[in-house]
Amino acid sequence: MEATFLLTLLITFLASFIGYELISKIPQTLHTPLMSGSNAISGITLIAAILIYPEVGDSQILQIIVLIAIAFATLNIVGGFSVTGRILGMFKKND
Amino acid sequence: MIEIILLISAILFIFALKLFGRPSTAHRANSFAMLAMALAVFSAFNFDFSKYDSAFYITIVVSGLLGVLISKRVQMTQMPELVGLFNGFGGGASGAIAYVELSNTSLPISDVFVAIFSMVIGIFTFSGSLIAVLKLRGKLNNFSTKLGNIFSVFLPTILIIPAVLEMDTFLNEFIILVALIAGVIRVAVIGGADMPVVIAFLNSLSGIAAMSAGFIVNSIILIVAGALVGASGIILTLLMCAAMNRTLLDVLKGGFGTTNINNEYTKDPISTSPEDVAIELSYAESVVIVPGYGMAVAQAQAAVKELTNTLKDKNIEVKFAIHPVAGRMPGHMNVLLAEVDIDYEDMFTLEDINSEFSSTDVVLVLGANDVVNPLARTDEESPIYGMPILDVDLAKQVVVLKRSMSPGYAGIANPLFINDNAKMLFADAKEGLENIIKSFELV
Repeated sequence: MEATFLLTLLITFLASFIGYELISKIPQTLHTPLMSGSNAISGITLIAAILIYPEVGDSQILQIIVLIAIAFATLNIVGGFSVTGRILGMFKKND
Repeated sequence: MIEIILLISAILFIFALKLFGRPSTAHRANSFAMLAMALAVFSAFNFDFSKYDSAFYITIVVSGLLGVLISKRVQMTQMPELVGLFNGFGGGASGAIAYVELSNTSLPISDVFVAIFSMVIGIFTFSGSLIAVLKLRGKLNNFSTKLGNIFSVFLPTILIIPAVLEMDTFLNEFIILVALIAGVIRVAVIGGADMPVVIAFLNSLSGIAAMSAGFIVNSIILIVAGALVGASGIILTLLMCAAMNRTLLDVLKGGFGTTNINNEYTKDPISTSPEDVAIELSYAESVVIVPGYGMAVAQAQAAVKELTNTLKDKNIEVKFAIHPVAGRMPGHMNVLLAEVDIDYEDMFTLEDINSEFSSTDVVLVLGANDVVNPLARTDEESPIYGMPILDVDLAKQVVVLKRSMSPGYAGIANPLFINDNAKMLFADAKEGLENIIKSFELV
């Protein structure tokens, strides 16, 4: 238990570090698509919703709340990637 | 098997960020991230799709379609609102999940703290983002900072209430309510032009909320992806703050530009006409255009492109100088210019172009104000003192296209407008540009 938790913390730290290093190199021109793209990624919380949905049990209210979370996260993911693709398409044709 | 899919997903996310580093590879980055996301979501089902009822699948399909629909319809000038809205959804989802997990009584105590953290951050992001969207749409005027200050005192007080009442039911609901109100008020006191910082900050929070949700449900991929988003948001937030020479705390405090400073001009500016600007431009060898929020408001991108083409046809060099906080979100101006096919090679950052202004013939300032205010270099009393600005006042000739002499966000006069080498063309950015282009035909 202890060891797994420490390992998770290490992964968190490494992911943040890699993210910081890579994102620092992204030019200003791409900051808007970076934002909308990373925004879409934050919808990954959908995974948590998928994992807990079968376990909420009989409570209808909780079930509805998870469904709301699923709707929000899906909208975030699909809309976010779609709009990022649109923005990046505008940069692509400049090549 | 699932572990391998998740490993591939995490690697793809990191590669996506790497590919994001250059405009020429960035569109592939999006495909990589999408694939990574698809794999991650797929793995969450653990090959057991029968555990889920129709309500679940209908919700996913309907909200997915809605997401596509919104993203196809939105205009590029509305991008800050859209990103703000999606931020709110991401945060709200994490907050809701944390709430459901907290309702699960068998949660170990360490997870309870993480869940409360995730819930507070998520809900704060949700309400704060919705207010940011309203602000960006101009639907909400600045709350007084006083309200914010009162609230800062009020918040700790209200948090004692449940302890005093020994409240154990509805405690989570109470925390949600406080986080909702906190998000509303915190963002409401911040002015519209500080929204680039706010949006980037909320973006970071939505990642942190997702990351902590990952701790509760023990999902490494959720933690990794959430951490990446958190890092990206923090970097952008700090970049925006540095570009204004202000701290994040100062921005979040709100009330910027509301102090009453003497903003009278000592003399009248020189007013010019579209014809004169056209003549001036046609004799120039190098032109730098400085776009600001005014360009976005007037939807003047197409006119900018037309003017650029006209000038380039005359073998005049045209460059774009983009201040990091121009517009309402990081990189806002770049996207608007890219929308009308302006080459990103022609877009320059502050560091890259500032040394060139002294050898530039004409600078055209398009609805920008504080980012070209020389007081940032000279006046220690000024609220913008120390902020890195575009040194357009060093150019041989400056033409400022602006509707009036009204001050910008900082609420201070801009002595650039009455400089000897500056002329004002009082017009809406789009209309003014179109008139200049028309005048070219007569030159």
